[in-house]
Amino acid sequence: MAKDRDIIDGCLSGSRRDQELLYRRYSPKLYAVCLQYAGNTEEARDVLQEGFIKIFENLSHFSHEGSFEGWMRRIIVNTALERYRNRYYLNRVDDIDDVTEPEAEPDTDDFAGLEAFDLLNMVMELPPKYRMVFNLYAIEGYSHKEVGEMLGISEGTSKSNLSRAREILQKKVMILTGVTKRMVNV
Amino acid sequence: MFEREPNIDIVFRNGLKNLEVLPPADVWDNIPPMPVRQSRLRIISGIAAGVATLVSLSLLATWYVRNNSTPVLLSEVTAPGNGQGDMSLDIAGTAPVTRPAEAKVISFTGQEAPSETAILSDSQTTADIPSELTAPAELPEQDVLPGEPVQLFTDDVTIVNAGRFERSEENLKTTVPDLKGGKAEQRFLLGASLSPAMGFSRSGEDARLAELINSEKSRPAYTTGVSVAYRISDRLSIQSGLGLSSIGQTISDVAVYAGLSDYYSVKSSYLYSVETASGLILAGNTDLYLTDTKDRVGTLIPGNMADPSKYRLTQVGSDIRQVFRYLELPVLLRYKLIDRKVGLNVSGGVAYGLLVGNSAFTGEGSDLIRVGHTEGVNSFNLSSQLGLGMEYNITKKIIFNLEPVFRYYVTPLSDISGSLYKPYSVGFSSGFFVKF
Repeated sequence: MAKDRDIIDGCLSGSRRDQELLYRRYSPKLYAVCLQYAGNTEEARDVLQEGFIKIFENLSHFSHEGSFEGWMRRIIVNTALERYRNRYYLNRVDDIDDVTEPEAEPDTDDFAGLEAFDLLNMVMELPPKYRMVFNLYAIEGYSHKEVGEMLGISEGTSKSNLSRAREILQKKVMILTGVTKRMVNV
Repeated sequence: MFEREPNIDIVFRNGLKNLEVLPPADVWDNIPPMPVRQSRLRIISGIAAGVATLVSLSLLATWYVRNNSTPVLLSEVTAPGNGQGDMSLDIAGTAPVTRPAEAKVISFTGQEAPSETAILSDSQTTADIPSELTAPAELPEQDVLPGEPVQLFTDDVTIVNAGRFERSEENLKTTVPDLKGGKAEQRFLLGASLSPAMGFSRSGEDARLAELINSEKSRPAYTTGVSVAYRISDRLSIQSGLGLSSIGQTISDVAVYAGLSDYYSVKSSYLYSVETASGLILAGNTDLYLTDTKDRVGTLIPGNMADPSKYRLTQVGSDIRQVFRYLELPVLLRYKLIDRKVGLNVSGGVAYGLLVGNSAFTGEGSDLIRVGHTEGVNSFNLSSQLGLGMEYNITKKIIFNLEPVFRYYVTPLSDISGSLYKPYSVGFSSGFFVKF
């Protein structure tokens, strides 16, 4: 199997075959990311296409110092964010600062029967503002401050949206797994 | 204080970490080829080609302007039977001449350069100029009254070419037809040439392209055509013309069998394709079965149904030959390094090519079978060429030229996305030129 570096060099020299190889190798993973952020297949498809165009356009800037997959993932996430900002920025709701943590939380064992596709579907079904915050904070690992800057919302709103997202997801998980309310002692 | 991460975050993060979902098939089709990072050599070649073209066009324009707008040649003419006799004259015969005329200087449109003319005064006319020049010209007799126009004919006019006045008598006197014919200078050359060459290829960094090129052999290339050259100066000339060039490759180790149409009938425009460095050969001849061991042959026939071992197919070839023909318009500059009977010159320029032939054959000798054509070959190309040639003046008018020529295709031969298949060739250009 060809190394990433060789494929990248091939892409930079103009080889369409290497570009396709790169696409075939990484598009399934990146498409899953697109679905997480986009919420539907149509939007995800556009994000993937736009993201890959940016990846190819900026490939010469990749320094080979970090993870190539991580670099591509960041481009895809930024593309999704850009589209989200363009689409939802004007229609955003006012900041909400009242943060409410869910009272109960399922144990990790309760998720044992869930497939990755179930998790993906649950994330996709979240309202856009909750989905974006949950993805950026819980999946990508950004802080609330960073999430706020990325989405143009306050830190408090980011926390609030995250809390709401978790609450929705927990309910969905419980419904899906048949878990009844079970208190978790922290 | 340590903040415990909720389980739900961990579960979703781990659960989605390695998730893969196949994207819709058409996404890739909508992603355009990425821009190619141009190599320094390519940039320099492009700039050089551009400069050569601009210089060539500028010189051509200069020459055109110079030869189409020279307005005046100054001369002196004596009229018959008139000792005082200078007149104004239009050599084209459109302007009447009045007698007696006041003007001593006549002007007309002709081929001679203004620098080679002069205005002669009365004193020069009588004192410095040889008597034959001051003698009356032999003009046909006309019944002309004083003050009325006189019709003059170009053949009857004697012209003093003052720029060469002191050299010899031959140069002092000439007639208009001689000047128009360019007696003194033969600036144009017309010729025909043939340039056999051997092509080569480079693959760059594309591994697959290198693999393909390694399984191909360049076929002998040639360029033939007619050329017109114009001598800008004694040593520098510009050359153009029209030529036909042919290049191609032999795709080796592709077994070609005939007779497939007896067993497999389809409506498709082709059944087999062969991946090559210069594009995809589409086998429009659906009677052929193609196979190879290098993973270059593709087919629309599912599951290798057309196995020659199952059917009676006849092998008609073991390779495929691609042939591309281009109509070419070269623009070259040639400089004489040594200007003697056997001279040495260096030439360089560009040639624009228009694809006029694209075919693929198999078979041996005269039993050639057309396979199809190559998809993805550029309709236009630009090549640069450099030559160092020997020039032999067989007579004063005929020149034989022989020069090794290096040619490099500036634009890729193929427009397969991203493929940078740019062959080059080394050959000998030989031809005859006639001065006029």
